[in-house]
Amino acid sequence: MAFINLKKTETTTMQFGGFNVEVVEAPRGAPSDTLIGMIGNIQKVFVSLLKGMKVTLSYLVRPSTVVTQQYPENRETLQMFDRFRARLAFKYNEQGEHNCTGCKVCEIACPNASIIIDARKGGITKKVEIDRYTWRWDICTFCNACVMVCPHDALEMTGDFESAVYDRRLLIYNLNTYGGPPAKVLKKMEDPEQKKESMIARDVYSGPIPMTGTAIPGIFALAKNEEIPDDVE
Amino acid sequence: MNILDLLSIPILNISSSGWETITIAQRAADALSGNSIELTIFFLILCILITVSMLAGLGMVLIYAERKIAGHFQCRLGPMRVGWHGTLQAFADVLKLLLKEDLVPARADKLLHLGAPFLSILATVLGLAIIPMSPSIQVIDVNIGVVYVTAITGLGVLGALIAGWSSNNKWSLLGAMRAGAQLISYELSATLGILVIVLFAGSLQLSEIIQSQAEGWWIWRAHIVGIIAFFIFLIASTAELNRTPFDLPEGESELTGGFHTEYSGLRFAFFFLSEFVNMFVASALVVTLFFGGWMPFHIGNWEAFNSIMDLIPPAIWFAGKSAFFIFLLMWFRWTFPRMRIDQLMRLEWKILLPIGFANIFLASLVILTKFHF
Ligand code: SF4
Ligand code: SF4
Repeated sequence: MAFINLKKTETTTMQFGGFNVEVVEAPRGAPSDTLIGMIGNIQKVFVSLLKGMKVTLSYLVRPSTVVTQQYPENRETLQMFDRFRARLAFKYNEQGEHNCTGCKVCEIACPNASIIIDARKGGITKKVEIDRYTWRWDICTFCNACVMVCPHDALEMTGDFESAVYDRRLLIYNLNTYGGPPAKVLKKMEDPEQKKESMIARDVYSGPIPMTGTAIPGIFALAKNEEIPDDVE
Repeated sequence: MNILDLLSIPILNISSSGWETITIAQRAADALSGNSIELTIFFLILCILITVSMLAGLGMVLIYAERKIAGHFQCRLGPMRVGWHGTLQAFADVLKLLLKEDLVPARADKLLHLGAPFLSILATVLGLAIIPMSPSIQVIDVNIGVVYVTAITGLGVLGALIAGWSSNNKWSLLGAMRAGAQLISYELSATLGILVIVLFAGSLQLSEIIQSQAEGWWIWRAHIVGIIAFFIFLIASTAELNRTPFDLPEGESELTGGFHTEYSGLRFAFFFLSEFVNMFVASALVVTLFFGGWMPFHIGNWEAFNSIMDLIPPAIWFAGKSAFFIFLLMWFRWTFPRMRIDQLMRLEWKILLPIGFANIFLASLVILTKFHF
């Protein structure tokens, strides 16, 4: 930063991929080439080096700035960060209702087909609704695309990163606790009976997934008498 | 010879009366002329022991310190698992390096590839031998001390060059060429920095340079000239150590490891060790030349303060001062980004060297006019 003057910045707008982006330009001065200016150059160099050293020293003397987590030891107290992306989950409201309409936008957006959606025409509403939302934790890259494209804000990324198991088939499961219309449709239903009827409970391991005996490309189905190795605790 | 003779060796010379330097080699020679073969052998073994234990001990301590300090500079913790706060990590690493397979690339020059790390470590050991750590802890005191040090650092570059050449690998060769260019260039500036102090002290011998600072350290007594010489020497010795911002010969991100890319196991450890111990040698030289070596810190005529300072053994003074400069070098490494090779050369030939020449000219004027403290 020795020769950059932050007080004389110029702001211009530039086009980046259809967006107008503000670009701040700091004029990059050149070192002076006169004999007197040389002393000034040396002084600037030392000042800027000292500034850098001050920053690193301030980290060294304050152990509170350390961000490293001593993971297995602090497993009980570990708080994952807001923007940490690990397990995909449905958002549920207080009544345990989700927002997913079964529109399949996320399935299309997923770069490696980790989402397999089973949508059906609902018996009560006569509209398309989610039946089974199968997510493959074993191949998901946690790119967040599904969360960003969802038009109904039905998905979220949670900080639950401990996904180690002995059998990858355990990682292919349903995200939804019930198959049925989303919260906003359920809200319009007056009759609680009808509401209950439209929400059909779904197990974590149910539907056409390897754990219930359906092979999917690359992964064998679980045989009838096959034992699943114990889940890693 | 009785055992009491051995115990009365003044390893920690506490008295401040006359900081007379008696090197261990000197003691051995004295013992030999006194017809005491046992004592001679004892002192000769002590010579070897001091250098070897310095090499191993310093290597361990410095590697641990570097990793810990680097961690905290970067908001990390550094090694934490082996031992309390990772204190045993260095031992675990040494064990791992000892057990590792020693790979020699196909079509490498076997003999040179084998010899290069030993050449590197040899230069380090030779450098360690003349470091005056206290009036009584100095292995040998040659009367051309400063010239010797300059020559030895030049020898170290041979290790890097041979390693790069014999590895039969383009990255290694590039790293080695850079090491050669860099070390030979910066040797000039380092020597110009040293020469200023030699002019002031009037001697090339390290112990005499320290003795000449009894009334005050040269950084203070040689005022402006001394400070400029100190900065030139500090920058040049950082470059000679191949440490960031001048770590082009290794340049992990561009050369995968530079001249030691093709080394593994114990021979890689030798390069590593010599790099770290060289850091100590350089800090020790800075301390010896500019900061009074093992001399305690004195302020003018504050008698009480000065006599309290004298109570601290010189070895501790030396260790403390060198520890500070080692820390400074680590601080540099974890703050500054690496320079480009042309910037590196420009810094030396167009900036440091002219300043160095002007400075040495100024220094001679200062000495002629006795314009120093
Ligand atoms: S995070 Fe990315 S890879 Fe994972 S399910 Fe969503 S879109 Fe697919
Ligand atoms: S999660 Fe969102 S994007 Fe995916 S099917 Fe449901 S509503 Fe559509």
